[in-house]
Amino acid sequence: MAVRKPNLESRTKILTMMICGCLVIMLDSPSALLVCFLASLLLVTSAIRTLKQLRLLLIFLFFTTWGLIYSQGIFYNAFPRTVLITLVPVDFPLIGKWTGGIHVYREGLFHGIIQSLRFNTTLVIGCYIVWSTQPRDLLLALSQLRVPGALAFMVTTALHFIPVIVSETAAVLRSQRLRGFRYLRFNLIASVRGVINSFRPILAGNIRHATNLGQSVESRGFSPETTTQRTSLRTSQMGKLDYSLVAILSLCLICVVGLKVLYFCYANGIYYVSWLRGVYTFTREIL
Amino acid sequence: MVPIQIEDLFYTYPSRETPTLNCINAQISPGDFVLLTGPTGCGKSTFLRAINGLIPHSSGGTLTGTVRINNINVSTQPLATTCEQVSLLFQNPDDQLFCTLVEDEIAFGLENLGFPTDKIRQRITMALEQVGLTGFAERRIDELSGGEKQRVALASICAMQPQILLLDEPTSHLDPRATRDILSIVKQLNTEIGITVVLATHRVKQVQHLCNRVWLMHQGEICLDLPQSEAFQDTSIFRNLGVELPEPEESSNDTQHRSSFHIQSKDTLLEIQNLYYQYPSSEVHAVKDISFEVSRGEVVAIMGENGSGKTTLLNLIAGLLQPDVGQTTIDEIDVRRLKLHQLAGRVGIVFQNPDLLLQAETVCDEVEFGPKNLKLKSDKLHTLVNQVLDQFQLTDIAEEAPYSLSRGQRQRVAVAATFSLHPNIFLLDEPTTGQDAQHLQLLMDELCNHIRQENRTLIFATHNIELTQKYADRVLLIHEGELIYDGTPISAFTDHNLITKCSLMF
Repeated sequence: MAVRKPNLESRTKILTMMICGCLVIMLDSPSALLVCFLASLLLVTSAIRTLKQLRLLLIFLFFTTWGLIYSQGIFYNAFPRTVLITLVPVDFPLIGKWTGGIHVYREGLFHGIIQSLRFNTTLVIGCYIVWSTQPRDLLLALSQLRVPGALAFMVTTALHFIPVIVSETAAVLRSQRLRGFRYLRFNLIASVRGVINSFRPILAGNIRHATNLGQSVESRGFSPETTTQRTSLRTSQMGKLDYSLVAILSLCLICVVGLKVLYFCYANGIYYVSWLRGVYTFTREIL
Repeated sequence: MVPIQIEDLFYTYPSRETPTLNCINAQISPGDFVLLTGPTGCGKSTFLRAINGLIPHSSGGTLTGTVRINNINVSTQPLATTCEQVSLLFQNPDDQLFCTLVEDEIAFGLENLGFPTDKIRQRITMALEQVGLTGFAERRIDELSGGEKQRVALASICAMQPQILLLDEPTSHLDPRATRDILSIVKQLNTEIGITVVLATHRVKQVQHLCNRVWLMHQGEICLDLPQSEAFQDTSIFRNLGVELPEPEESSNDTQHRSSFHIQSKDTLLEIQNLYYQYPSSEVHAVKDISFEVSRGEVVAIMGENGSGKTTLLNLIAGLLQPDVGQTTIDEIDVRRLKLHQLAGRVGIVFQNPDLLLQAETVCDEVEFGPKNLKLKSDKLHTLVNQVLDQFQLTDIAEEAPYSLSRGQRQRVAVAATFSLHPNIFLLDEPTTGQDAQHLQLLMDELCNHIRQENRTLIFATHNIELTQKYADRVLLIHEGELIYDGTPISAFTDHNLITKCSLMF
């Protein structure tokens, strides 16, 4: 059965992730970050083949979004900050005095939303790469991008084993439960110990698989030092779509960096010209 | 010219004090087919890795002595050069295949060696032909059966046209038909192309008629190196080391072993009704309309070809998978009504890979884990753990870390850890994988004895007809997810059509 030809070349996918990763770090405005996130969602929909993938993506997004917003809401320590909800009042015995009260801050929630949009954009593009790229194409692309052979192989192997790790993790967790273990119970120490113990067979399995695969590819002449001398059965060429996408994204990144630098100079009194006022406003409001 | 010459070879792994390879001297002539056998942990896999140069090039530890391929010491030449002369096929195809498509996998080695594209294409065609997979070039590897995957792995090394082929337990994950296919391809490569073969296996019977030389290893040494015609004249050395004997032993003992026990009651313990299960990523049912009952005290074998649904069925019985349709009841309780932790003590499972169960720091903690979760009082817990350790001969290694043990011992620990919960139904998935005859017999003897004594039930999945004949009261044959036979092993194995259909004919 022939494999469907991917829309984007593997190098394009990697460059897209790298450029978008930089872009979302540079952007501060929720609306601009939302646009990036929605664009990444559009990209990943072309790679989703099964309901399981969709479910996995939604679980990832839920937990990262919830975790970041919740943690930033509570632990936000910049000023000004406005208390929205008090979880533990200051006068609460011991914990209240010790922590100075535990509150959820409005600015923290806002900051959490921004951070989750940044993180989720990169996460979604990562999922797109994993679900739409064959390991050998990824290895080839990383080599073409001059990534050191050892690192390229490590990345590729890690992605190759994701389904195996998921299935073995499920087997380990279920078998522990079948031996009477409950992850959610009042004895927190026992629960944590159980979770830590479950890592042991998962880790051991990963090491064993990686060792075997490493030996298998080395036995077939693969060496991280000689990846540049490899030939390839399949030639991989970037097409017009690839070049256009990389060019547009690079241009966006350059523009955003340029505008941010200009705004930084203006805000810190280093450089100001009146005819750039519109640019300063655009940068502050939109970017 | 002598293609392989090994002189005074010693090798010690970094974390060990005693050498795993202990003064090996041997040589192989061109075109030889060597059967390398020995008990689990004797050093077979390490020896093969020393021959192809993975040791010392990709391994720490201390290697002394020499392995010469065509008079060149493999430890002094790059691994990429050695791999053009010597290729190694590993045990589990899933661990060695790297690409998504068959042709990419076969091309991988050639690409590493810098072959031009047209040459790679020629070699792919040739290699696929050699392993009987013509027309498979564009197929996805994850859609292939276990036997086909191992053939792809074999093709990927055949494409490199090595002079020497090393095979490390290449059939341990395969059903008898796939095993026969792989071995006949290897024999063909040996006789028609003249490739020198060294095949490491526990399954002496399957390979003895193919080889012309036999090496028997014990504690890192080759303790027997004879032509095939002489090697099996005195089988006492094989018997003493617990290695599978070339010819079947008298079967009267086996029959006595099973018939000395009898089912103590006819109480139905497990009832399966119209079970269907389909994996989310699959288009076909892994299990289709399966119904049967199992009584207390029965030992039941589930047999069928690779991918027939044996493991899926065990997982459904254990409650690890939820059926799409149908019902599983244990002691008249619907399994779906119980959470997994509530099934502890009713059903226990040991996977084909026992390492997935081993999570504690010591063997004692591992055995203790289940009963402790069931909140057994400390004095009872202590007595129970000691009793189980004693039953499975683990007392001496109770304080050892499970991962530091041999494969056979690890499986025994996994079985003991599951057994400590005294489940009414004990499920065991392919106990033969990676086990030598002695370890396997010890394990099954102990388990069956305890199971029958306590009037519990054992259900095991296997490809091994002898194991079923020896231990099972009843066999279920599964073919493409459907139950096609439920009855005694004797009548199943005398039906030629049935065992051929289930790929159990070697």
